[in-house]
Amino acid sequence: MKKLLVLLGVVAALAAPASASAHPLGNFTVNRFARVEVSGHRLYVRYVLDLAEIPTYQARQQGVDPAAYARRIARNLRVSLDGRAVTLVPAGHALAFPQGAGGLHTMRLELILLGPTVDRSARLAVSDTNYPGRIGWKEIVVGAGTKSESDELRAYPKSLLQSPLDMTSAAATVSPTSDPPPGLTTGKALQAPDRVADSGFAKLIGRGHLSALVILASLAAALFWGAAHALSPGHGKTIVAAYLVGQRGTPRHAALLGLIVTFTHTIGVFGLGLVTLALSQFIVPDRLYPWLNLFSGLLVVSVGLAVLRSRAGAWRHTRAHARGEHHHHHHHGHSHVPAEATGMRGLVAVGVSGGLLPCPSALVVLLAAISLHRVAFGLVLILAFSAGLALAITGVGLAAVLAKRAFARSSFDGRVIRALPALSALVILVAGVAMTARAVPKVGF
Amino acid sequence: MKRRLTVGAAAAVLAAAALLLGGAFRGGSSAASAPVAAPATAESLQTGFSPGSTEGLVARLQAQLRTAPDDARALDLLGLAYQQRARETGDPTWYAKSDGVLRKALRLAPDDLLATSGLGSLALSRHRFAAALTLGERARRLSPTTARNYGVIGDALVELGRYRDGFRAFDRMATLKPSLSSYARVAHARELIGDWDGAVSAMKLAADSAIGEQEPTAWTRVQLGKLYWNRGRLAQADREFRDALTAFPGYVYALDARAQVEAARGRIRPAIALERQASDTIPLPQFVATLGDLYRVEGDERGARREYALIGVIERLLRANGVKTDLETALFDVDHRVRLPHALSLARLAQAERPSIDGDDVLAWALARNGRCAEARAWSERALRLGTRDALKFFHRGWIEACLGDRSAARLWYRRSLALNPHFSILWAPVARKGVSS
Repeated sequence: MKKLLVLLGVVAALAAPASASAHPLGNFTVNRFARVEVSGHRLYVRYVLDLAEIPTYQARQQGVDPAAYARRIARNLRVSLDGRAVTLVPAGHALAFPQGAGGLHTMRLELILLGPTVDRSARLAVSDTNYPGRIGWKEIVVGAGTKSESDELRAYPKSLLQSPLDMTSAAATVSPTSDPPPGLTTGKALQAPDRVADSGFAKLIGRGHLSALVILASLAAALFWGAAHALSPGHGKTIVAAYLVGQRGTPRHAALLGLIVTFTHTIGVFGLGLVTLALSQFIVPDRLYPWLNLFSGLLVVSVGLAVLRSRAGAWRHTRAHARGEHHHHHHHGHSHVPAEATGMRGLVAVGVSGGLLPCPSALVVLLAAISLHRVAFGLVLILAFSAGLALAITGVGLAAVLAKRAFARSSFDGRVIRALPALSALVILVAGVAMTARAVPKVGF
Repeated sequence: MKRRLTVGAAAAVLAAAALLLGGAFRGGSSAASAPVAAPATAESLQTGFSPGSTEGLVARLQAQLRTAPDDARALDLLGLAYQQRARETGDPTWYAKSDGVLRKALRLAPDDLLATSGLGSLALSRHRFAAALTLGERARRLSPTTARNYGVIGDALVELGRYRDGFRAFDRMATLKPSLSSYARVAHARELIGDWDGAVSAMKLAADSAIGEQEPTAWTRVQLGKLYWNRGRLAQADREFRDALTAFPGYVYALDARAQVEAARGRIRPAIALERQASDTIPLPQFVATLGDLYRVEGDERGARREYALIGVIERLLRANGVKTDLETALFDVDHRVRLPHALSLARLAQAERPSIDGDDVLAWALARNGRCAEARAWSERALRLGTRDALKFFHRGWIEACLGDRSAARLWYRRSLALNPHFSILWAPVARKGVSS
C-alpha cells in the first residue's frame, strides 16, 4: 500500500504543470499589440491581447466570448488608408489562459482582422483606442517583418533601462507585398508564452563561444528543457499512461515508447524545418500546426478504437472460457490478449502521436542553427531535446507500469484489474476525440 | 556637455522634489484611505523641469546610462524618476525598476546619499516601515542637514506609531526647508492631533507650492478635499476633487474621492461610474471594496459580490508576491464579515507591523466584531490617544460601547461621528444614524 502511495505521488508530480510565474508587467496590466501588414493585396491586422491576472479574473467572471472580443477590438482599432477609415473584419482567433501567480490565470487572445485590398501604395494611419486608460504595454508595428520589442507580448524586456512601451498610434506608407498572411499561434506556444517556460532552450543556440564545456552544458540543458517541455500540459502523458496500463505494458515497452517519441519528434522538427525553409512562400508553419494536431488526434482515436476492439474480442474469448468451450492452452498467467500483436502497432501509434507535434522552440533552434551556420550543433541540440522529451515520457510510462503492478499485487479482487484495459481504452478514445475536436475548428482552408 | 547640464539641473530638482515625500505618507485619516502619492515641489519650475516631462527625463537618463552604465548619479536620478512615474501612473512595475536601479547605484557607491534615501522612500511606498526607518537614519548620518532624510524618517516613525519622534522629524524638516513636502507633513501631523484648522492652512500652503505641476497639484488638492470631507463639508471637498481632476485628468484618487461625494449626495449611479473608472485603471483593494459597497447600496447584490470576490483575488496575489497582509485587507474582511476569526488574526499581524493609531483602530474593530468587546475598548482608547477627530474611529468606539451594553455612551460616540461627517462611510453611517435614534 505504501508503495502504491509513493507511486501515485510520482505520477502526480509528473502530471503537475510547470511552475507558474506572475505576469511580468504587474498583476493588473492590459497589454495590447497590433501588427498591421499587407500580404499580397490585402491589409491584415494581427492583434494580441495579453491580460494579467486581475483583468483575466474579471473577464472570466463575465465569461469570455472571443468573438465578441474580436468585434469590439476591431471596432476600436481605428485604421485609415489615405485618410479614409477602413472596416476591419475578424477572421480568426486563438484564446488561451496561461498560468499566472497565486494559482490564477492570465489570458492571451490573438486575432486576425481582415482589412480592405491595397492595390497601390497608400498612407496608413493606425490608432488603437481599445482599453483607454488601462495600464500596460501598448505596441503597434507595421509590416510583416518588423521586429516587435516584446516578441508580440511573449517576452517583455526585463532591462532596467527600458520603459513599458506606450504606443497607441502609428503611421506609415504601405503597398502590396509578397509577404505571407499572418497566422495564429497554436498549441503550446499560445498556452505558455515564452516568458513561462522553454525559451531557455531556444537561447542555447546563440551562445557566443563554443568550448567543449559550453557544448556539454548546452546538451544537458537541452535535455532538461526537453523533459520540461514533455511535462507541460498536453503531451499525451495521459494517453501513454493509459495505454501502458491497459495493455499490460512492461518497462521495456515504456522504454521503446520513449525511443519512438524521440525519433518522431526529431524527424518532425527536421521535416517542419525543411518545409519552412523550402516552401515558406506557400505554406506558413503556423498553418501546419492545426493539421498536425488533427492528425495526431485521429491517430489517438484509432489507437483507442483498436484497443477497444481487441478488448471486446478478449471479453468474448473469456466468456467462451467460462462456458468451457475453449480447451486449448491452459497456462496460468497467460494473457488472453495477444500482447505482441496489439502491442507493437499501438505502441508505435502512441509514440508517433506523442512526438508528432514539433516543439516550436525546437523549430526555432533549427532555423537559428542554419542561419548561424551551426547546423551540426543545432541538430545535436534538437536530438538532446527530443531525448529529454522521451526520457520524461518514458518516466511517465514506467511510473504507470510500476503503479499498476503494485496495484495488482495488493489484495484487491481482480475486478478492478480486469476492468482496467477497457477503461484505458475509453480514456484513450476520449482523449483522442477531445484532441480532434479541438483541432478541427482551427484547421483553416 | 549641454545634456550633462540639463541632467544636472534635473538632478537638483529631483533630489529636492520627487524624492521628498515617500509614497506611504497618508492623507485623510480613515484607515483605508489611499496610499499617498508624493508630489514634486515648485522648485522644478525654476529649473525648467515639470512633472509632465518625467517621461522625457526618464528617456534621457536611460539613453545616458546605455552609453555609461556605471554612472551612479544618473542611476540615482533614474531610480527617483521611476518612483515619480509609479505615482503618476499607479503602475507598481516602476517600483521594481526603481529598486533595481537604486541598488545598482548603491553597489557602485555604497555611501550614496540619494540612493539611500531613495530606497527609503521606496520602502515607504511598499509599506515596509521598519526598513524605511533604517534607510532614513542611514541617510541622515550621511548628511544631517538634508531635509528630505527627515521626511523619510518621520513618515516611517508615524506609521510605526512613534508619533512624538515622528513629529520632531517633521519639525526639523520644515525648519531646514519649507516646501510642499514639509507643509503636507505638518498638515498631516496637525490633523492627527485634532488641529483641523491648522491642518487646512498647512495643506493650503502645500497646494500653493504645487501650482503649475500636474501630479503634485492633484495630490495636494485631493488631500485638502479630504480634510474638508472629514468635516462633512461636501461642497468644498467636491470643489477640491474637481480641481484635482482638472489639473490631472483621470487621477484615480480624485475619482475615488468624487465617487464618495456623489454617494453622500445619494447619487449612487454616478458614484458607481466614477469608482468603476478608478478601479478599472488601478484595482486598489479600497477602490474595489467601495465599488462593491456602492453596488450593495444600490441593491445589486450580484455586482457587489463580484467586486468582493475580486478582493479575494487581489489578496491572493499580494500573498503570492510576498506582501504581508495589510491593514486595508484586514479592515475589509472585518467590515464585510469575511471569516471573522481569521480576520482578527490578520488584524493582529497588521497592527504588530504597523502599530499606528490606524493599526490600533482596525484591531479594536476586529476584536469587537468577534465579540471581544472589553479587549476592543482598550485598543480603541489607544487609537484615540492623540485626540484625532476621525468619524470612523468614533463610530467603531460607539459600536464597542453598544456591544458592552453602555447605550448612552454608544449614542454619544455615534452622535460625535455623525457630527464630524454625516457621510463618513457608505456602510456604517446609516448604522450610526440608527444607533442615535434608537
